[in-house]
Amino acid sequence: MTENLTIKKFHDGLAKKKFSAIEVAKDYFSRIKSADGKLGAYLSLNEERALADAEALDFAIGEGENIGLLAGVPLAVKDNILIKGLPATAASKILEYYRASYDAEVVRKLRNEHAIFIGKTNMDEFAMGASTENSAFKIARNPHDHTRVPGGSSGGSAAAVAADLAIAALGSDTGGSIRQPASFCGVVGLKPTYGAVSRSGLIAMASSMDQIGPITKTVEDAAILFRAITGKDRLDATSAETEFEDFENTSPETLRALTIGLPGEYFAGGLSKEVSSEIERVIEKFKALKFMFKKISLPHAKYAIPCYYLSMPAEVSSNLARFEGIRYGRNENLKSQTSPNGHSSGRISNLQEIYFKQRGAGFGPEVKRRIILGTFVLSSGYYDAYYEKAQRARMLIKQDFDEAFADVDVILSPVAPTTAFKIGEKIDDPLAMYLSDVFTGSVNLAGLPAISIPTKPSSALATKELPVGFQLIGKHFREADILGLGKLYERTFL
Amino acid sequence: MQSLITKETIRHLAKLARLELTTAEEEKILADLSKILAYFEELRALDTSAVVPMTGGTHLKDAFRDDEPLETNRGEGVDIFPESESGLLKIPPVFEP
Repeated sequence: MTENLTIKKFHDGLAKKKFSAIEVAKDYFSRIKSADGKLGAYLSLNEERALADAEALDFAIGEGENIGLLAGVPLAVKDNILIKGLPATAASKILEYYRASYDAEVVRKLRNEHAIFIGKTNMDEFAMGASTENSAFKIARNPHDHTRVPGGSSGGSAAAVAADLAIAALGSDTGGSIRQPASFCGVVGLKPTYGAVSRSGLIAMASSMDQIGPITKTVEDAAILFRAITGKDRLDATSAETEFEDFENTSPETLRALTIGLPGEYFAGGLSKEVSSEIERVIEKFKALKFMFKKISLPHAKYAIPCYYLSMPAEVSSNLARFEGIRYGRNENLKSQTSPNGHSSGRISNLQEIYFKQRGAGFGPEVKRRIILGTFVLSSGYYDAYYEKAQRARMLIKQDFDEAFADVDVILSPVAPTTAFKIGEKIDDPLAMYLSDVFTGSVNLAGLPAISIPTKPSSALATKELPVGFQLIGKHFREADILGLGKLYERTFL
Repeated sequence: MQSLITKETIRHLAKLARLELTTAEEEKILADLSKILAYFEELRALDTSAVVPMTGGTHLKDAFRDDEPLETNRGEGVDIFPESESGLLKIPPVFEP
């Protein structure tokens, strides 16, 4: 009874006293213990506090208290989002011993709703990667095929939800890190409009593109979680207050008035056969519902990857300067070089040496690559040719979307060019890995909202068939459109 | 176009970024970056002379707020620090005695 729960089903069961919050929480922990050794979705668990929170909630329900939709829901949280007192390693050695000293704003909001945080999920180190193989601690596996990656960087969150080791999860998305793993694992992932969700308490990667968002089993759940975490926060000056429509109850007639755009550049080749035929089928299904489609053009689409991979590392190299190896971790490496009386020959004698050693030992290969690349594009003599050039291209990419959205309301596209690839297949070829972001990165450059939705339910997949997601991109702060349309698809076809 | 990056460039950048790299890491990063930058050459051919750069992800300007004191978590940073003594952070010695 406590298996494959959605937020909605869990809430109904809890309200009708079919089960208690603590029963469900315990079931999730026992499933995690039996399955996660193999899967690698979690980096740390929060069992004691989660069970205490669930018990307190059950007591409150027993006292007749009214509960909200998220009360008692066991949630998994990506390990770059801070929960006070818990580890927040961002899957990096340099943060191995760090404990968060405050709650991220999204966590504070969910805590107020009495949601329960069961653990922190695996990811690519500092959210840099598309496979979760860049985790400094362990790889994560795709629940549909353990020889394949779950995608990344929010691979642990997507795998946890897909394997029912959490009812829902939070991830973060800088260039596709929520949507691509959602597509690979057959779950729903929403990357909100830049500014729709506070970034306070999210370990920064590229601040002009990072957004926190939900990874869930249904579009309806994504809407519930999104509504709970959105809003202006005084600790994030880029966050904005917006009025969101009641998309849960948008009538199908209103939704059918939306025009869907198909960007020619995204279908011009480079798509695997599985992805291309699944996306075609989705288009046919929407056409059967009498949706109006229009061909659109995003002429600068081919510059999205170079633009993204020049802009983002520049921000990475700046943001990661704060990890100097002193403030956020145990100074083990340094202590071992000093004898008890402090007179060892290997003693570190200046501050710079600490930085070099701690950062050299604490960061993994992809993080180092991006720090060096970012330092390069920002360095004197190359700034204009690379960084500034990329910022100009970014404007053109954004203007492409502005022009397209003058004609259409929503854009439909693939999420990733392929289904989940094999573990080890791309890890030695950074450029091949970067191309995973070809349909998602431009959305972050333009600051738009986008959702990845499975083309069919996991239960309908044939043997050896892997999940495929389709992407709906909306206008700024029009999450209502993509969630509403996604929900209609889910209700009608899934 | 010839590769802009040499081993010396990588060493210089690593120094700027305060990053200790092994020789093997230097070589790998040099090879990867040369490949990545070559792929990005396409972008250099794009005419952007009339375009205003987009810096940042938002068009919000002057997002001021009232300067009011808030409840803070002062002290918790110290509690969470690996080693501390009487409210002060303990770090390795960095100066010669």
